Amino acid sequence: MDAKFSAEAKDLMGKRGLKEADVADVVKTAETSNRKITTGKVNIAKKRIGEVTVYAKYDADGNVCNAYSHRMVLGEPVKTTDTPEITKWECVHCKEKAIAGTVNMTYMGITRSGPAIVCPKCGDSWVEEYLATKTIAAAEGLFEKKKA
Amino acid sequence: MGYEEIFPPYDMEWHAHSTKRFANPFVDNKYDRVDVDPVMLSHAAIACGYTIRDFYEKPELGIHCLAYIYQMYDLLPVSHWFYSTPWLKELGMELTQKDTLPPIAETPIISEPGQVDDLEVPDEKAIRNGYTYPQYQRLYSYVQKNLPQTFVPISYGFDPVGEASHICGVENFIMWTFTEEDAAKKLLKKFTDTAIEGALCTAKDYGMAMLVLGSVLANNDIFSDEAVREYSVNNMRYYIDKCFRGGAGPQIFYHCCGNHETDYKEFHNLIWSPFTVFHIGYKGREVFPTELLKKEFGNKATIMGSVDTKLMINPNPKAVYDQAATSIKAGRDSPRGYILGCACECPMYTLPGNILAMTRAAKDHGTYGKF
Repeated sequence: MDAKFSAEAKDLMGKRGLKEADVADVVKTAETSNRKITTGKVNIAKKRIGEVTVYAKYDADGNVCNAYSHRMVLGEPVKTTDTPEITKWECVHCKEKAIAGTVNMTYMGITRSGPAIVCPKCGDSWVEEYLATKTIAAAEGLFEKKKA
Repeated sequence: MGYEEIFPPYDMEWHAHSTKRFANPFVDNKYDRVDVDPVMLSHAAIACGYTIRDFYEKPELGIHCLAYIYQMYDLLPVSHWFYSTPWLKELGMELTQKDTLPPIAETPIISEPGQVDDLEVPDEKAIRNGYTYPQYQRLYSYVQKNLPQTFVPISYGFDPVGEASHICGVENFIMWTFTEEDAAKKLLKKFTDTAIEGALCTAKDYGMAMLVLGSVLANNDIFSDEAVREYSVNNMRYYIDKCFRGGAGPQIFYHCCGNHETDYKEFHNLIWSPFTVFHIGYKGREVFPTELLKKEFGNKATIMGSVDTKLMINPNPKAVYDQAATSIKAGRDSPRGYILGCACECPMYTLPGNILAMTRAAKDHGTYGKF
């Protein structure tokens, strides 16, 4: 499947400094590997490209409606509870409902915990746009400031 | 004369040192020694010759006292000012200033479960025109002008269960958790939504908002573990999730004072951010063991160990030193960092020698490289 970009999506990617080719690569890789989460209508896929993890949110026809990124590296899930909150997302690879979980996040050699959507079977994790562009972006800035 | 004219210039050399130290628990810098945060509020005003009432009635004076006194005690390079009843005026309650207490909400405004539906959650405009948020806007303007290096925009959700209970009376609220669950939950959500709106205003105006949130009334002296989960932990998740979605955070201070003898396990289900400090006051009648805090939460957040607040007014600095040393030795190598605190706010009339005992213990047992 080839990614398709609306003018709005291109504009958003431009503002966020994301390359169309990279976002297309995210979609292509996800469709090949089935490594993505889906609501049935919308998918979220990610790929580490260079120093950032790039995300694409797109529909079944490959129409990209959103793209974003973060620099932190998502790691292993951190167990929090035996009764996790189930999200609307499903891990396509495992066919498991994803949970609102916690994962290790590493940046500048520092590992801390943060919220993510986690597949309880394979342990892969994703973050939604608000977390990447607000919470994690602010945390990255704080790490840089405090580490300086 | 502005309050800033009462104080000598802020010591920037101390600030630079303290700032590097304050980064320790968050970015593994291992500089100097572990931080000490006795959760100070009006004690700072007392130490400067003012009153408890001054501290709460004059926030700008209160926060300047705090930033000033932090230098004397060699504590944190950041300032804060708060009380335990924010956002209640927006919901129609009156706050009464007291000579010896923070402002308190004395008179419940509803007495019947059916009245909960009549409470209106203020929207952004109402928050901006209300009491709590403008108070913080004035305060933050003062800090940005006079103590900019100490400024952290903070929004206080504080203790949602405790605050919601003020609205209908604590006894009523506790009873409703058994007999009128829907009303109790609805009231809690209305308070929480109000606090969320306040946090989002803070994030919008200042670019971020550290979130301070607790589970104080919801503790094992009153609630079962299941009730703590249902009323407190789930609601804390709701608050943080909504705040993050609106751009508040990423810093969180979870403050769980009171007795969390067995319900502490419920707090695993909180939302954790890369800049979270987690603090529990007591396990039964004793301070919460730092060893257990590290074992349970050390891989999720920076942990705050405790010296019993009772000891802070006891004329026995050695007892404070010993308890501080025990906590430091247990928590200093916690994987996400450690801070030495008090089990709750250090009392207004805390003895200075006891705070010195805390920092002395940090120097003796919390100096990186010595362990």
